[in-house]
Formats: sequence, C-alpha cells, structure tokens
Amino acid sequence: MATEHNDIETALNRRYEAGFVTDIETEYLPPGLSEDVIRELSAKKHEPQWMTDWRLKAYRHWLTMPVPEWAKLKIGPIDFQAISYYAAPKARPKSLAEVDPKLLETYDKLGVPLHERAKLAGVAVDAVFDSVSVGTTFRKELAEAGVIFCSLSEAIQEHPELVQKYLSSVVPIGDNYFAALNCAVFSDGSFVFIPKGVRCPMELSTYFRINAVNTGQFERTLIIAEEGSYVSYLEGCTAPQRDENQLHAAVVELVALDDAQIKYSTVQNWYPGDENGVGGIYNFVTKRGDCRGARSKISWTQVETGSAITWKYPSCVLRGDDSTGEFYSVALTHHAQQADTGTKMIHIGRNTKSKIISKGISAGRGQNSYRGLVKVEKSASGARNYTQCDSLLIGKKCGAHTFPYIEVKHPSAIVEHEATTSKISDDQLFYCRSRGLGEEDAVSMIVDGFCKQVFKELPMEFAVEAKKLLEVSLEGAVG
Amino acid sequence: MSAPLLLQELERGFAALSGRQRDAAGLGAARREQLAAALADGLPGARAERWRHTSLRALERRAFSPLPASADIDAATLAAIPGPRIVFVNGVFAAALSQLDGIDGVVAMPLSSALETGTARDVDFLARRFEAADETFARLNAAFALDGLLLQVGAGVQVAEPLALVMLGAAGDAEHAVHLRHCIQLGDGARLTLCEYQLAATPQAHLVNSLMHLHLRSGARLDHVRVQAEDAGATVLARSDVVLGSAADYRRIDLEIGANLSRHELNVALQGKAARLSASGVLLADGRRHVDTRLQIDHIARDTACELTWRGLAADRGRAVFHGGIAIRAGADGTAAQLSNKNLLLSANAEIDTQPVLEIHADEVQASHGATVGQLDEAALFYLRSRGVPEQAARTLLTLAFCRVVLDGIGNESLRERTDALLSARLLQVAA
Repeated sequence: MATEHNDIETALNRRYEAGFVTDIETEYLPPGLSEDVIRELSAKKHEPQWMTDWRLKAYRHWLTMPVPEWAKLKIGPIDFQAISYYAAPKARPKSLAEVDPKLLETYDKLGVPLHERAKLAGVAVDAVFDSVSVGTTFRKELAEAGVIFCSLSEAIQEHPELVQKYLSSVVPIGDNYFAALNCAVFSDGSFVFIPKGVRCPMELSTYFRINAVNTGQFERTLIIAEEGSYVSYLEGCTAPQRDENQLHAAVVELVALDDAQIKYSTVQNWYPGDENGVGGIYNFVTKRGDCRGARSKISWTQVETGSAITWKYPSCVLRGDDSTGEFYSVALTHHAQQADTGTKMIHIGRNTKSKIISKGISAGRGQNSYRGLVKVEKSASGARNYTQCDSLLIGKKCGAHTFPYIEVKHPSAIVEHEATTSKISDDQLFYCRSRGLGEEDAVSMIVDGFCKQVFKELPMEFAVEAKKLLEVSLEGAVG
Repeated sequence: MSAPLLLQELERGFAALSGRQRDAAGLGAARREQLAAALADGLPGARAERWRHTSLRALERRAFSPLPASADIDAATLAAIPGPRIVFVNGVFAAALSQLDGIDGVVAMPLSSALETGTARDVDFLARRFEAADETFARLNAAFALDGLLLQVGAGVQVAEPLALVMLGAAGDAEHAVHLRHCIQLGDGARLTLCEYQLAATPQAHLVNSLMHLHLRSGARLDHVRVQAEDAGATVLARSDVVLGSAADYRRIDLEIGANLSRHELNVALQGKAARLSASGVLLADGRRHVDTRLQIDHIARDTACELTWRGLAADRGRAVFHGGIAIRAGADGTAAQLSNKNLLLSANAEIDTQPVLEIHADEVQASHGATVGQLDEAALFYLRSRGVPEQAARTLLTLAFCRVVLDGIGNESLRERTDALLSARLLQVAA
C-alpha cells in the first residue's frame, strides 16, 4: 500500500493554475511607507481632504501598535518599507470597452467574465487589478434597481456622504494592526449600496488579482444593505507564482439594517507558495459584519485554499434584536501553508442567533487553526449559538488546532460547541477502494462529503469552483 | 514601575525568613533567583493569554505576610476525615493531627523534616526553575515553600486505605500567605488512593499557594480526589504537575467549591506508552466567587488516552472559568482524547467563560471536545413539579444530578459517599 501511495504522490504534482504573470505596463509608487507616501497615494486618487486626514490618522495610530503575535502562525518579519503601496495598470480606461485587452485576457484566463460572457453568466463583476478597480460590469442594470456597485474610489468621489457615514463604522481605524495599515494605504475595493426594500437583481462579485511584483494589495470593501434589502456578494482572489512573499491586508465591512440580509461568499486562492514554503501570499484580512437592524442577517461563507499564511476572522456583531449571524468555512492547508482562521459572534441584541460550521483540512506540513469567539453580552437574552468545527488530517506532519472562546453573561443563553479531529478512516477508504475508486478519487470524495455542509451554502458557480480547487489543492496529499 | 504591593510585601517576608530556612539543602540561591524572577516580571495582567479571564488586580493590592501563624486545632475538627492522614495547619506540618504510621511500603514525611535532615537529592524537585513570565505563583512557591508532603509508594505496593492530605487554614482574618510544595511518587505497579482537602477551620482571608508534583511509574494507578472547600474569603492558587509513565492509570476528581478566588492549573504529561488519564471536576461559582480551572494535557507517547469531564455552575455574581487544553504531539499515534465541559448559568449577573482547545500534530488520533452553556431543562423541571416536587427542590435535584456525574469515577465506596455528601451539602446552599 505504501508504495502505491508514493507512486501517486510522485505522479501528481500540485498545480497552481492562476500562477501566470500578465505583462502590462504598470505605474508604481516607489517602495516605502511614510506620511508623504500616503499623501501621494491619496493625491493620485484625487481624494478629498477628509479622506487624506483619515488615512494619516490611521497611519499615526498604526505606528504605535505592536505586531500581533497571538495567532498560531510562524511568520518571518515583514519589511513594510520594501513594499510598494500602489501599483496600477498605466492605461486608465474610461469604460469597460477601453480596458486593455491584456487585462481582459487575464480575467478570461482566470475564468472571470468581464465582458460579453458576463451577460451569459448574469453576475455583475468588479475586477480589482493590483491597486485599482479596472472595471465593473452591469452598472446600468444595477442602477435601474437603485443599487450602487462601483469601486470604493469612485464611491468616495460620487457618494461621499454614504462613504463618510459608513466607512470604518464597523471596523474602527485602530481595530487591529493590519486593519489600521489598511486604513492608511488602502488602494481600492468594492462599494455596494442596496437601497431600502431592494432585492439585488443579480449576484455581485469582485475579483482580486495581485500582478505586480513587490507590491502589497490593500483592498477595502464596504457593503451597506438598507432596510429590507438583500444582496449576495462573491469574492475571488488569485496571484502570480513568485518566490517572494507578498502582503495582502484587506478590510471588509458589512452593514445590515432592519430586515436586511447580506450573504458574503469568498473563494480565496491566492498563491500558496511552493512545496517548500517558498513564496506565497501573506493574507491578513479583517472582515466584520454589523447586524445593526432588527431581524437582519449576515452570512459569511469562505473557502480558503490559497495563501502561504491566512489570518482571517470574518465576524458578526449581532446588535439588532432577532438578528442572525452565520459562518461557514472550509480551510485547507497543504505543503507549508498555515491558516489561523475562524470567526467572532458577538451577541448584543435580544434573541440573536448564530451558527458556526468550520471544516479544516490539513495535509503535508500544513498547520490549520480554528480560532473563534462566541460572546453573549448581558443584554442578549435568548441568545443561541451552535458551533461545530471538524478537522481532517491527511499525513503525519500536519497539524490541526482548535481554539474556541466562549464567554456567556446572560442566563437564558444557550451555547453549544463541538469539535472533532480525526484522519480519513481506513474503513471509509477501504469501502471506496473496494468499489473500484482510485485512492485520490476516494479521498477527494470523502473530503467533498466532509465539506458538504459548507459548499451547499455557496452560490452554484462558486460551489463548483470550490470543489475543483479543493481537488487540485489536495493532489499529492495522500500517502 | 515598582512591583505591586503583594510582591513587595512578600519580598520583605523573604528577608525575614531565617537563614537556616532559606538555605536549607543548599537551595538558597535557587530560592533567591526565583523570587527575583517573580519580582522582575510582576503579576500576569489581562494581556497574558493564560490569565485572560482571571484578573489579579484586586489581589495585587493586598499585602500578605509570609509568616504562617500557629494555631491550635481540635482533632475533632477532622473527625470526618479518617486516617491515615497528613495535616498542615496554616502551611505547617501538624504532627499531633497527622497519623502516618503503619502503611507498609510507603515513605511519607513532611517536607520540613526532609529539609532539615535530608540531602539536596531528596528535595531536588524544589530546585526546579519556572521560566515563563506568567508563572509568578510557581516561582513564589519555589522561593517560599518550606513544607508539604513527600510521599513515595514502593514498586508493587497496593495501599488499600485512602491517604488524606489535609491543608487547613485557621488564621482567621489575618492576611498571610501559605506556600506548600508536595511531591508524590508511585513506583512500578503501585496503587494508591489520595484525598486532598483544602479546608478552613475558621473564616479566612489568607492566600494559599500550593504546588504538587506527581509521578506515576509504569503500570501505577492513582485515584485522586481533591476537594477545595476553602472559606469564602480565601485565595487559592493551586498547581498540579503530573507525569505518567507507560500504562500508568491516573483518575482524578476535583471539586472546586470554596474560596473567593481560586485558580487551579492541572498539567499532565502522558509520557509513557498507553498511559491513561481520567479527570473530572465541578466548578462552583456562587456569591461573588471566581473559580478558574485550567487543564493542559500533553499526549507525548503512543496509544495514550484522556477523558475529561467538567461541570460548571455560576450563580449570583459568580464567574466560572474553564480552559481545557489537549495537545497531541507528533508521533503520539493511537491517541484518544475527549473533553466535555457543560455549564449552567443560573443568574443574570453570573458569567461563564469556557475554552476547550485542541492542538494536534499526529494523524492517527481520535480527538473531540464539546462545551455548552445553558440552563436547567424546563421540561425536566415541569416533570418534577407535576409530580409534586416544589420548584426549589426540583431545581436543586436537577443541579445535583448535573454535577454528580463527575463522582462516578471514585472506586472506593465510602470515599465516594463522603465526597457526594460534601458536594450535595454545598450545592444545597446555591440559590438555583
């Protein structure tokens, strides 16, 4: 049996299909970080004074903050002065029709339809290339419904009142080290506003792509769902294959008012580095949803297969009475990847509910940690939480860890947490093999079953992609 | 920043110790070094992860004199605890209350006499250094401990009668600090039942800092019941460091039902192949009590197993804190680890914090944990009331049933009954 495993391992090498580089003329800010760099960045984006001041305030605060070390991650020191904080394709398109064909080709290669194909797919896409948004599709159709879907830079110009009202209202400037850095240097991202009573007519999607070398990507997404509205938002990410580590520090803020629902799905496939842990993206993301209104609902679904390091805790602040937060996650670490991910559910309103389903898969030398907080405040009568986190181990050298924090201050709350860790059982494998399935197929099928609870929460196109990604990422893991 | 009052006062107390006490068995330098380390690092604050849920801010402003007061205790006080037993009153061995004669194959003596007459080798565990900055109390223990229980059960010796270790406080309102260090070793195949009591003879405001080393060699079995029923004014800091050899079987029950602030750290290293640990406990936080138990179970060898069952109750303004850490190291294949922590939150001003943690570096393992926080089952309450049981009695009955599951593991029947009576009497005081 052992030799067979080895055969499979040698026969299959992991592929990172999105690892190509697009050769396109790019405009950079020189590497380095200072107040002048931030002013220059802000000026390049023609931002109003309040935005520049806000960035500088965040930067000054960031300088006083220590690098967080509590996560179970081994991270080399990051030289923030070696990173270029702005990179953008030189040719600035006025509309999608003028977008550099090379760029469109990039997104085609990634399978993201920006142009005609978008119509067929029926998903509105905002594509972010390095630091800037290169195009947003379906704007007219969305505008008719009253939905604003554009890049955050445009929103700052065109809807400053909305941006000023909601930006950093969920993730404050000094929330954490990487969020503060993001405030100071964020380049672009998506802005979504769904007005009262509107059900967004199509799925919205953003595709993030890091292309330029020695850059960091710091995007910022802000989604506001007014009373009674609904939106489903998808996010995908890729980067070229490089030997250096690249930094990605994003902030996503969601605001749901009374009866509003936001569904946020992510398939994260940043370049994970090679088998020996060389290269790959450092992914430090702060995602937080604020269920501000009564009966509002925010649901996070994430499939994390990429990045050398993932540090990410999409959270819900359940402020409104009867509001609901959900978190569904599949995180896979293979080779030398490390992930420390999970969620926070903060129950403040009455009868708030939250559900956490986390599936971690560790293979190779991968280290995978679930870190979660369920907090029931004194005001949250009738709060209810259910948490399930399961880990699957494939191989002798990987690790799976679970760090849940449960803090309850209301006697009518019911909080449940369950976690299991095991490897794929020999019985399951034997059963599949005896039915004529190859070892890889059997593992893939079992893993698929393990993740099913999460995949079924994804929109269909994403679910297919996620399943495929997992298969590719796990190749060579059995043995 | 100067050291908090608590540490300043202890430093002064250290100077007041006699040179003979400080330097006994050549430990003077080690004691000074550990005290200096504790003073340099101070008390762990809110940012120290391992003290995240237990604040020491009120404690650090108090001054405990390190010199234990002497007290006369009537032997009748201990009538409920049959011999053989070893008793420490206010941290000092009480020969008159202890009965240690006639246990074959067992060497039992107070640490104080070992320090006087023994060699450095007999007390080498006292020279252990505690490196982590948040191990303040272990360091203070290393600096101050002058008494405790030294117990060696010879290979193959099966002790039938339970041995009691009693730590009794009888100082009244005087704020003094007591530091005890125990070392218990079971030889190959030895068997012992140990009952550890932390009790108060009078209302107490003292601080008890006890550290126990336990070592079970191959095939040894220890049944260990620990009852912490200190007075509501006392502060208890306890730590148990356990090492299990191959096929050793360690069964332990902890009742945390007393003290104002209680912190217990139970560290178990399953070092030998097929070592087993079964540990369970009750945390009771009523009144204004803060009860914190922290388990760190380290599976090092193959085919080891642990089963952890903890129940927490928080009422009035109490706070129950539980951390259940299980680590499975690379190579510890065949390990089975299981943890269950269920909690009842009985009042609007009480709080429960629980954190079950798994860290797994081997793949041939079965590990799971579950934690819940909730209330008494309304349907069960209704059932009892429909059978004519008054509401208060029904609540008490259900609360008892909720906690009693941890007692199932006590093999010795009379001991189980005694422990059950203690727990039940205490639970009756809780306004459910």
